[in-house]
Amino acid sequence: MCDKYKFDNVVRSTAWSPGPGCHGGCGVKLYVKDNKVVRVEGDEEHPFNHGRSCPRMMALTQYMYHPERFLYPLKRVGKRGEGKFERISWDEAFDTIEQRFNEIKEKYGPEAVIFAQGTGRDIGGAISFLCYSFGSPNWVQLGLSGQSCYTPRLGAMTMVQGAPCVADCGQFFEKRYDDERYQLPKYIVIWGQDPSAGCPDAFMGAWVVDCMKRGTKLICIDPRNTFYTSRAEHFLQIRPGTDGALAMGMLNLIIENKWYDAEFVEKWCHGFEELAERCKEYPLQKVSQITGIPQEDIFAATKAYATNNPSSIHWGVPIDMCPEGTTVAQAISLLWCLTGNLDVPGGNVIARPAFLITTYPYDTQQMKDLYGEGIMDFINTKRAGADQYKYLANFRGWAQPDLMVQQMIYGKPYPIKAAWIQTTNVLGGQAADLNKHYEALMNMEFNVVVDTFHNPTTMAVADIILPAATFAEKESFRTWYTPLQIINPAVQVGECKSDWEINLELARRFNPSIREKYPTFQHLVNERIGAHGFTYQKLRDEHNGWVYPTEGPSVPYKRYETGLLRRDGKPGFETPTGKVELWSTRHEEFDIDPLPFYKEPPESELATPELFKEYPLVMVTGKRSPLYFHAEHRNIPWLRSKDPYPKVEVNPKVLKELGISDGEWVWVENQRGKVLRKVKASIAMDEKCVSVPHGWWLPEEKGTYPDFFKAWTHNCNLLVPVGNQSSSGYGGGAYKTTLCRLRKVSPDEMPMLPPEVHDGAKEF
Amino acid sequence: MARYSIAIDVSRCSGCGSCFLACKDEYIGNDYLPYSLAQPEQGHKWMDLKEIEQGENSKVKVNYIPLMCQHCENPPCAKNAPEGAVYTREDGIVLFDPEKSKGCREIMENCCYGVVFWNEKENIPQKCGMCAHMLDNGEKAPRCVESCPSKALLFGDLDDPNSEISQYIAQRGDFAVLNPEYGANPSVVYRALPSPFITGEVILSDKMSECCEGAKVVCECSCGSKFETTTDFMGDFQFKHLKEGQDYTITVSYPGYKDFTTIVTLDKARDLGLIVLAK
Repeated sequence: MCDKYKFDNVVRSTAWSPGPGCHGGCGVKLYVKDNKVVRVEGDEEHPFNHGRSCPRMMALTQYMYHPERFLYPLKRVGKRGEGKFERISWDEAFDTIEQRFNEIKEKYGPEAVIFAQGTGRDIGGAISFLCYSFGSPNWVQLGLSGQSCYTPRLGAMTMVQGAPCVADCGQFFEKRYDDERYQLPKYIVIWGQDPSAGCPDAFMGAWVVDCMKRGTKLICIDPRNTFYTSRAEHFLQIRPGTDGALAMGMLNLIIENKWYDAEFVEKWCHGFEELAERCKEYPLQKVSQITGIPQEDIFAATKAYATNNPSSIHWGVPIDMCPEGTTVAQAISLLWCLTGNLDVPGGNVIARPAFLITTYPYDTQQMKDLYGEGIMDFINTKRAGADQYKYLANFRGWAQPDLMVQQMIYGKPYPIKAAWIQTTNVLGGQAADLNKHYEALMNMEFNVVVDTFHNPTTMAVADIILPAATFAEKESFRTWYTPLQIINPAVQVGECKSDWEINLELARRFNPSIREKYPTFQHLVNERIGAHGFTYQKLRDEHNGWVYPTEGPSVPYKRYETGLLRRDGKPGFETPTGKVELWSTRHEEFDIDPLPFYKEPPESELATPELFKEYPLVMVTGKRSPLYFHAEHRNIPWLRSKDPYPKVEVNPKVLKELGISDGEWVWVENQRGKVLRKVKASIAMDEKCVSVPHGWWLPEEKGTYPDFFKAWTHNCNLLVPVGNQSSSGYGGGAYKTTLCRLRKVSPDEMPMLPPEVHDGAKEF
Repeated sequence: MARYSIAIDVSRCSGCGSCFLACKDEYIGNDYLPYSLAQPEQGHKWMDLKEIEQGENSKVKVNYIPLMCQHCENPPCAKNAPEGAVYTREDGIVLFDPEKSKGCREIMENCCYGVVFWNEKENIPQKCGMCAHMLDNGEKAPRCVESCPSKALLFGDLDDPNSEISQYIAQRGDFAVLNPEYGANPSVVYRALPSPFITGEVILSDKMSECCEGAKVVCECSCGSKFETTTDFMGDFQFKHLKEGQDYTITVSYPGYKDFTTIVTLDKARDLGLIVLAK
């Protein structure tokens, strides 16, 4: 037998970035031989995934033991972009960072250092402890225009019903589908997503298939044909960016035809008359014209959803990327509220962390205890965008990314001088307007990047690189949402440290109360979970690493009837009126329209007909490959072999008109730039759109300036602008609505190159 | 005796790639002698995943077909192979002997399903061996089957009428082998394979803004078979599981209107689009 069948021990743990890179939650068994992970399997006893995993998980050993993985801290020794780095000790790395950040703090204030992350995974805790311990208000998803990934939806749901909701696949119960309290949804509406490919936001895509096998039918809303649309009873092939109009039209139909739950609306909703009046502006014919979906299809799908309780809605990031993303999310969330599908079995249930334990403090008093009395006022008034957007000042602790990139370049209203970059490859990944973000990061005096491999960001702008541990090498914990579970290290690789360890060590240096309270990471975990009688060790040794709450405020259903949702213990929802706010009082307070509405994408057939003549295709970026997590994994051979090229997927009819063949390399271009892509002819694509997968750079190419792993040749975000954020500050990143055209490649035409920019690095 | 098989339900396969990766993880860098030498780092797909898009206009279907060695009863790859190079175990698993198959490219070339790969370094043909080494070791299923998150792949013994796989196949009643015309009689079976379909939408000439529900649609194949359906409330009809290369006569009728008839030579899935019935 080969080595992979010989092992010393099996470590049970929980997957959560880095490694598979994803939003995690799966129970995993790590087989260890001679202090190396030799094999990875899903844990069949774990109710989250029932033994299942995914390609990225199965390739974990290739990721962990990749010859190019960062194994120890590095400092830049040549110029930025020359790719010259030298090994340093952790002590030197921590000392340098502490000293440089403190120098900047003394000169410009703590707000001059930003703490940047990518999509939210096991990082919120680590980065907020560091950011606030240092004293900066600028925790930011740098590059993510409009912060258009879940935040707009979370914001809208919090305003409407006081807490976020998720489609109910029994995930809050240990027995899942077999729990007697659970009911299967009659329909699941999959709105703008291919859940199997990405496993988004604490939701495993295969759960939808689980429901389908048990009899659930599908309603799919997507511009593209997928596995799910091919099996849907209703498929609404929507024009990208018009989801708001569709949601308004559906609300209108539900009200007009009295398909809503009159008793629920009467008892638990605020502002029904106003909403009904607004919805009249969206008659079926108009909505059909805007969305490109036949009237009868919209009618039939809406009727099926609204008149078959329970049914649920599972939605994706395209909602956030609509113009006025918060408002679109508001409209869609009203669908489950009006139809009586809120917090009922098989509907959209209010999702709260297990036992209400959060892995880092959200509430004001806890924040003040840790970071000092003045912290909340300081961060809520000082963070970039807080003066312009009341949502930002009052809702979540993130600076506005579109404003931040400007501020990094122009220094207004105050200078930004350094960036801490963690769990994000800004230039190879989420940043819209690549050139601008390159300029902004180059303008910094000092950049620290925490990552696992070199990528365009480390090569172009890093001054110090810290090696991050994968989930198989770290201690952590998770309550997103249920169960309460721990991440349990199996091995150590090189000198890699977990994001938690790295950040806590620095946080201790900046904030004595962190040093005092959390001499080790386990002290932090035990403090946060201790009130419920758990410790890290107890969870690991006695509970297989996870435990489900069986009752109480984090367990559904109908908690609004029993007072479990409100801080004051009264029945109702955690909103100013205590009801579901169909007309949002918080929105009025924030100077935003209290009712949902539709806004046309900034560039489109209707909004910019002249531009459309020149660029007649809608560029839909962001299609997920199950083999890659965003900008990661192109360097993992097994994964790459199944999906080797940066592609553009085009309907064959469009190709025929342009005289372009399947498999040909073409320019995808617009007024902002061009990228090179290999054509995949696909009848699954609408004739008006092309799909341009994001996150493409080529790790096998040269990493130094000006190549930067060909990010400037292939990264589609060269064509996506910043500055389209919604009136809330959240949502509106034009990642799915930008216009483009395809053009044949002539042999002598060069790709784009990084612009010449000011290098603000201060040597040390 | 046993006859091991993998039953693949295409309706459940979302194309996630787990089977593809599980196979890589199992075989790259790992010898399982006497059954197999390691799979090379690049180029081989012992378990592949084919994406099939079918249809026209707004009637498009996307499916994924996991494709690997079909473990044939009469393996075409064995034709002209040296003695013992291609052999079938008692449980029906077809294997290549890494020693005896050395240099024999015909083993690869004779496979009708295109699932045998050439290992340049070792100078041997290679393919899926249904993880025989795992089964010998007491494991219940090959890696690909184990890894499938939606149970699109089911492993078991076809000769045991009580096995899960036999029961599932009996219950479904529509599993079939790929390309029966090859006469290879594979062990691996499939259901819900994408087959050509004909779709269309019916409206009435004097009621153009409404869908025509309840129109009778008859589909007659040149081979003699005949199917009938009625349009649903959206005026849509669909005939699934048709055969490529046949002529189909589609007749749409509705009381009080003239019949509509067209002949479709089916080279692929077709959407007839809007059919207007005249008075």
